[in-house]
Order: sequence, then structure tokens, then C-alpha cells
Amino acid sequence: MAVRFDRERLGSLKDTVAIVGVGETDYGADYRGAGGQAAKKGEARYDHYTLASQALKRALDDAGLAKDDIDGLCTGPTLSGERACELWGLNPRWSGSGDAAQCIIEAAMAINCGLCTTVALVYGNAQRSMNTAYGGARVTGGGITSYFYYAPWGLTSQGALYALFFQRHKLLYGTTEEQLGAIAVAFRKHACMNPNAVMQKPLTIDDYMNAPYVAEPLRLFDYCLINDGGVAIIVRRADMAKDLKQKPIMVSGFGWSEENVDATQLRPRLKDFYHTAHRDVAAQVYPMAGVTPRDIDVFATYDSFSVHLLASLEGFGFCKEGEGGAFVQNGRIEIGGELPCNTSGGMLSESYMQSWNHQPELVRQLRGGLGARQVQGAEVAQYVHDVAGKCKSIIYTKGS
Amino acid sequence: MATARPIRSMDPYAEQFWAFTQKKELRLQKCSACGKFRWPPGPTCDKCLSDEAEWAPIAGRGKVLSWTTFRRKYFEEYPAPHTVIVLELDEGPLFVSYPVDIDVGSLRESMVLTLRWTDGQDRFGEYNLPVFGPPSV
Repeated sequence: MAVRFDRERLGSLKDTVAIVGVGETDYGADYRGAGGQAAKKGEARYDHYTLASQALKRALDDAGLAKDDIDGLCTGPTLSGERACELWGLNPRWSGSGDAAQCIIEAAMAINCGLCTTVALVYGNAQRSMNTAYGGARVTGGGITSYFYYAPWGLTSQGALYALFFQRHKLLYGTTEEQLGAIAVAFRKHACMNPNAVMQKPLTIDDYMNAPYVAEPLRLFDYCLINDGGVAIIVRRADMAKDLKQKPIMVSGFGWSEENVDATQLRPRLKDFYHTAHRDVAAQVYPMAGVTPRDIDVFATYDSFSVHLLASLEGFGFCKEGEGGAFVQNGRIEIGGELPCNTSGGMLSESYMQSWNHQPELVRQLRGGLGARQVQGAEVAQYVHDVAGKCKSIIYTKGS
Repeated sequence: MATARPIRSMDPYAEQFWAFTQKKELRLQKCSACGKFRWPPGPTCDKCLSDEAEWAPIAGRGKVLSWTTFRRKYFEEYPAPHTVIVLELDEGPLFVSYPVDIDVGSLRESMVLTLRWTDGQDRFGEYNLPVFGPPSV
């Protein structure tokens, strides 16, 4: 990029907004239903707004705030801003839309501009009830052309695009499928410590290797869940966050960079592993928060596929390029290890909330008191978002 | 009857790309101002924003970058297993296709494959689909 970001202005936003409340639906209970069995896809039990409403109420309760304290609203991609506001009786002074990281950054900008003080970020997705398709003839792409453009040749699904990514990683660096399996095994271990997670059955590396391929070289457990759920996050101006029900968790750093040139050709995916965007975001988020990768106590990455973790660990400098497969071995990414990753179970094993469930988990880890799942001494947490090279990152701290 | 395939994404530029395939010509847009090839087709050059372009013939030779094999059926037209490859064309663009006349187990990184044609049709009509196989066959 020819135009550089302004490190000084970005740095001045450190700790200016805080997360004061989080709310989630009952992922596991909703997945299993009253009979204890997983609901079949397409058996409508919920809609997006039912789940979003439940999450919003829980987040407000968590914060000890009333809905009239909200003057800004961000909605996830499944919700209409107008309908959501109408449903919840809100006339916001500012509204936005996007993934969770994008909404946190935009809320921080809107609050710092003085447009609003307290923003509710709300997401709901009844994707299991509605049998949402992420591959095949029904896929529309959601603005990402490579998701549908190659249908005449039989290429479809985000999973297959990540299979191409991992195959390239294997070819260049000798990364093995068994090494990749450590990610799904670790996240499942975390889910088994999280009573709200959909997946509660332990997964061994043998279970992983014995599971069928979907788009080879990716297997079943490299893929995220398809489940219903909602998440809400309350972001508030930091000076107004001090005397609420919860100890505020500060948004101490953020960064944003997109790698879209030749995206449909898959060039940034296969020739760069999106590392240009990762390095650009790293150059923003770490100096803003005043930390380095070595200071991160809890890490979470977007994980619609296990492969995402390799990409972000290498791109953000936790290990060298090509060494992600070796890095994730021997419990290093598990709770109790050097860099606990996706400690709720992530989208592979807790809930596929498309970046939204990662934020409450990092907030909870910094609040403390999670029992066996608690990362001891957690002070600095980082989320990395990367969907097809649209990369963002947030660093949370307990503040000073 | 030509082979039924999942539907193409169609716009005025894609229409031109697919029209050339009816003559078994693989042509991509090449910027008339700066010479950059682009794919998929569109109105402007991403390097210099010029809207002047020619449909330049492609030699039909590329090196294998990656591949994946579908072990589940996603399209009626492509029962599993179905393998898809990504090539880096000599002209620069990366190109998605599928391999013919070669086993998946014989695919190698940077292996050179060359253009073949197979038939296809969808609700936009009949066309030829560019696929790739070993040069010697």
C-alpha cells in the first residue's frame, strides 16, 4: 500500500472503548434439542431474530444496562438493521454492520467521533434450522466471487478453497495431515471444558485421521459446525464503563487490512497465504496495544476451517512461515500450553458464529474465574479475523 | 447433447470469454495500456484502470500450484471423487480447472499441464470447457 496508516492517531484510541457486556445463546442445548439429539438441518426451530434477541437481553443483563442505554447498533450479516431496531425499540444515532471484529472497530470509531457512547453489536444465525448452504448449487458467495465462479469446473465451497490452501502448504513446507489434526483435537479438548459448547465428546488424533475426507486433504473435523445461535457484545466509551456490573475489558488495539487483488484467481490465498494482510494488521495492532506476539496470553482465530490457525500463527509472527504445522504440536495451543488458542472450542467445536463467539470467550478469559478452562494469569488476549484475506485483529486487555 | 455442467456466472465480459470457447479458443483480457492479463474478465485493468483491452490468445500451458479432491458430491454434475486443480498460466494469471488423462496420485507441484477441451452446457447454452492434461498425451 502506498498510503500508510497513521500510527499516532491509531495509538491515541488505545483503551478508549471497553467491552462491558456479552451474551450468547445456549449453543449445546439448542443443538441437541429437548430430546438430546441434534436437530436435522432444515427442521426450523429458530429464526435469526429470535436468537439475536435472546443474546442481546443476556448481554444487557451481563452489563447491568437497560436497552435505553444503547445509542448505537451494529448487526451481523443475517440481520436487517431496520428490523432489528424495530424489534428492540431502538432509534440509534449510529448503526453499522459486518463481522464481529469489523463491528468492534467501527463502534470504536463511532464512539470516538462522538456519534454515540454505547453500542450493541448483535448477531443471530439460524443456519441449522434454515439449512443454509455453504457449497454446491445454492451458494451465492456473499460478495466473494471465488465461492461460486468456478462451478462449471466443479469447484465450490469455502472448505475446498481451504483444502487448496492446505495442499499448497503441504507441497511447499511438507506440513502433514497429522500435524493439522492437532488443531481440531486441541479445540475439541477446550470444548469439552465448556458446558455451552455443541461438541462434548473428546476427539483423539486417531479419531481425526479415521474420519472421512470432505475436500481432500481436509477431513470432517477440519470443518466448522453448522448450528443455530446468537451473540451480543456491548461496547461502551471507556470513561463510562468503570462502575458497571462487570469489570470492563479494554479494546487496546485493532488493525484492518484486506488482500483483494486477484482474489478470485486465488493468488493471495495460494501464493501468499494472505500473509501480506496479516503483516499489515500486525503492524497496526501490536504497536497500538503496546504489546508483541510474545505478550499474548490467549489467542483466538476465525476457524471455519482448522487451516486458518496455521495461516494466522505464521502471518502474525508467532512462528516462521511454513512452521505452523510444527508449532501446533505437543499441546502448545492447548490451555496450559504456551499459546492457548480458541479456548471455547472455537467454530470447530463450540459454535459456528462466524467470528462472534470468539469475542465473549476472550472477554471471559480476561475477566477470570472460568475454572478448568481458565488460562492462568491471562492479561492480554488477541483475536485474528481472516475471511478470504479480509483481515482484522483486536487486542483486549484488562486496562490500567 | 453436450455435457451438463453447473451454471456459469454470466455478465457481458464472461459472455465474450465463453463465446471464444465455442471456437475452442482460450482468450483472456490483456490491458492495451500496460499489458497486464486479467481473469476473471471485467471492465477495467486492476493495475492501471484503463478500460481498453484486447482478448489475447493464451498459449494453454500452466504449472500446477495446488489441487483438491471432493470426496462428497456437491453438484449433481460432478459425482465424487472429483479433483480440481489450480494452475499458474505462462501468461501470469492463476486458472482453476480440472485434470484429464492423469491420476491424482501423479500430480506434482509445478508440473506442466497443457490445454484440452471438453464440451459443456447450461441454461445459457453450449460451450467448451478448458481443462488440462499432460503435454505428452
